[in-house]
Amino acid sequence: MKIAILSGKGGTGKTTVTSNFAVNINNSISLDTDVEEPNLHIFMDMKEAASEPVYTLYPIIDKELCNLCGKCGEFCNYNAIIPAKNQVVVFSESCHDCGGCKLVCPTGAITYKKREIGKIFKGRSKYDTELHYGILNIGEMSGVKIISQLKNHPNIDDKTVFIDSPPGTSCATVEAVEDVDYAIIVSEPTPFGVSDMKMVVEMLREMKIPFGIIINKAGLGDDEIYLYSEDENIEILGEIPFDKKIAELYADGKIFSDSLPEYQNFFTDIYNKIIEKRRLL
Amino acid sequence: MNINEIVVISGKGGTGKTTLTASLIPYLNDLIIADCDVDAPDLNILLDPKIRSTHKFVGLKKATIDKDRCIKCGLCAKHCKFSAISKDIILTSSKCEGCGVCEFVCPVDAISMVDAVVGELYESGTNFGDFVHARLIPGEETSGKLVAEVRKKAKALALLNNKKNIIVDGSPGIACNVISSLTGASQVIIVTESTFSGLHDLKRIHELTKKFNLKVQVVINKFDLSTHHSEMIEKYCSENNIVVGLKIPFTKKVVQSIVTKTIPSLGEKEFFEEIGFFNFINNLTK
Repeated sequence: MKIAILSGKGGTGKTTVTSNFAVNINNSISLDTDVEEPNLHIFMDMKEAASEPVYTLYPIIDKELCNLCGKCGEFCNYNAIIPAKNQVVVFSESCHDCGGCKLVCPTGAITYKKREIGKIFKGRSKYDTELHYGILNIGEMSGVKIISQLKNHPNIDDKTVFIDSPPGTSCATVEAVEDVDYAIIVSEPTPFGVSDMKMVVEMLREMKIPFGIIINKAGLGDDEIYLYSEDENIEILGEIPFDKKIAELYADGKIFSDSLPEYQNFFTDIYNKIIEKRRLL
Repeated sequence: MNINEIVVISGKGGTGKTTLTASLIPYLNDLIIADCDVDAPDLNILLDPKIRSTHKFVGLKKATIDKDRCIKCGLCAKHCKFSAISKDIILTSSKCEGCGVCEFVCPVDAISMVDAVVGELYESGTNFGDFVHARLIPGEETSGKLVAEVRKKAKALALLNNKKNIIVDGSPGIACNVISSLTGASQVIIVTESTFSGLHDLKRIHELTKKFNLKVQVVINKFDLSTHHSEMIEKYCSENNIVVGLKIPFTKKVVQSIVTKTIPSLGEKEFFEEIGFFNFINNLTK
C-alpha cells in the first residue's frame, strides 16, 4: 500500500507528517520525493546510506557522419539541438532525453551520452526503518527522473510506503503520487493553505486518487478550511494543533511524536482508518 | 532604462515568500508585480486584483491517439521515454512531454500532436500597480515556460509604462520554475526560517544563485522560534558574504492579517516599523 503525503503550499508539514507515520507504523518504508529540497532524512536521522547516481542522456554528434541536414533541430521541441552552418550545437541542459533526434537522423550520426543529474540514497534510519531519498543536482531543470527511479524499487510493492511529495501541483508532484493507493493532504488553516490545497484536490480528483486531509497548525488561522472540506465532502483525518513545543522540535529536526508520546496513537489511528477505507472501496 | 527586478525565493516552501513580497509591495513606487509561483499562486489573495485580461497559455503540443486508426502495434509505447503510453495504448496526458516521438514512429498515422492549454495568464490592476499572474492547471507540465511568460509580460509592462521596479514572488525548490524566475533578476531575496531544514535548504538555493552570479540577501523569518538555528544561519551568511537584510520575529498578528486578507505591513505597520522593515525597503531601491 502506497500513501502519498502532499500539500500544494510548501511548509505546511508534509515532512513532519511523513516522518511521524514512518516511525509509528511498523515495517514501513518512506520515500522522500521532494528531490529539490529533501529534508526527511534529517528528521529520520539516516545512517550509512548507499548512493546511486541518476543519469539522463543527451545527444553527441559524430561530425564525420553528420551531413548538416537539420532534421534533428527541426524535430526537437525543446531547442536542445540546433543545427548551425558548420556544426550542430547541443544544449544538454535543455534536452528531455526523448530519443527523437537519433530516430530522425538519416546518417546515424547521433549517439547518446549519460550525464548525472542527481543521486538516490537508500539506507536505514535511527528508528530502524527503511528510507530512500533523492537529491537533484543544483542547476538541473527537472527531478522527475530521480522520482521515477526512486519509486521503481522492486522491494516496496508489498510494504506500506509513505511518500513525502514535492510542493505544488506540477510534473514532479504528478510523478510522486501517480500510482498511490491513497493521498493525505497536509494543509494549514490560512487562506494560502486553503487556496493551494484546492489545486491539489483538483489534481487528485483528476487522477482518481482517494484522499483525506490532516490540518496542521490547527487554531492558528480561521475556519475556511473546515467549511471548504465540508462543502466538498472531504474527510478530515486529524488535526495537529499549533503548538510551540511541536514547532521547536521541528526546528531541531526532531520527530515530535517521538518526544511527545501522546501523539503516537494519533498516527496509528489515522493509518488504521485509511486501511479500513481502502478495504471498503 | 535599467529595471530593478527584485525576485523573492526560498528553496524551502512555506518560509514566508508571499507574506514578505506582499508586505513590500505597498512601499515600492513605480512598480509592476509578478507572481511566478504558478502552481500555488497566493499573492492575488492579498492584492485583490481586478483582472483586465486573461490569456490561455498553450505549452508544448501533446499527443492524441486516434483509436480507429490505431493497430495496437505498440511502437509508440516502446519508444515513449516518459511512460505516457501504456502497453495497451492508453495515453496519460499529464505525463506527455510533447516530444513527438510517438507521432514519428506510428506506422499508421494514428497519433497527432495538438495544442494543449496548460494554464491561464492574467493581467490585472491593483492599488499598487499592474499585476501579472498565472495559474497552471493542476497536474500539468511546462510550468517553467509559464513562469517565463509571466516574467516576460511583467518586463514588457514595465518598459511600456516606464516603471522602475518589478517585484517577483517565486516558487519553492531549485529546479525549472525557480531557475526561470531568476533569469533577469537584478537582486534576489532568499526568505528562510530558523529551523534545521531552513538552513539545509538555504544552502542549496544559495548554491543555485551563485551559478547565476546574482546579488543575494537573506531574510530570516520567525527567527525567534529557534535562536540557535537563527545564529547558525547568520554564521553561514557571514561566512559566505551574504547580507542578512532583515530578521522577523514570529507573531500571530501576521497570520491574523493574512486571514483577514490584509497585507501584513499595512495592517500591522507598527510591528513592521519596530523590526526595521522600512530601512530594508530603502536599501532595495538604492
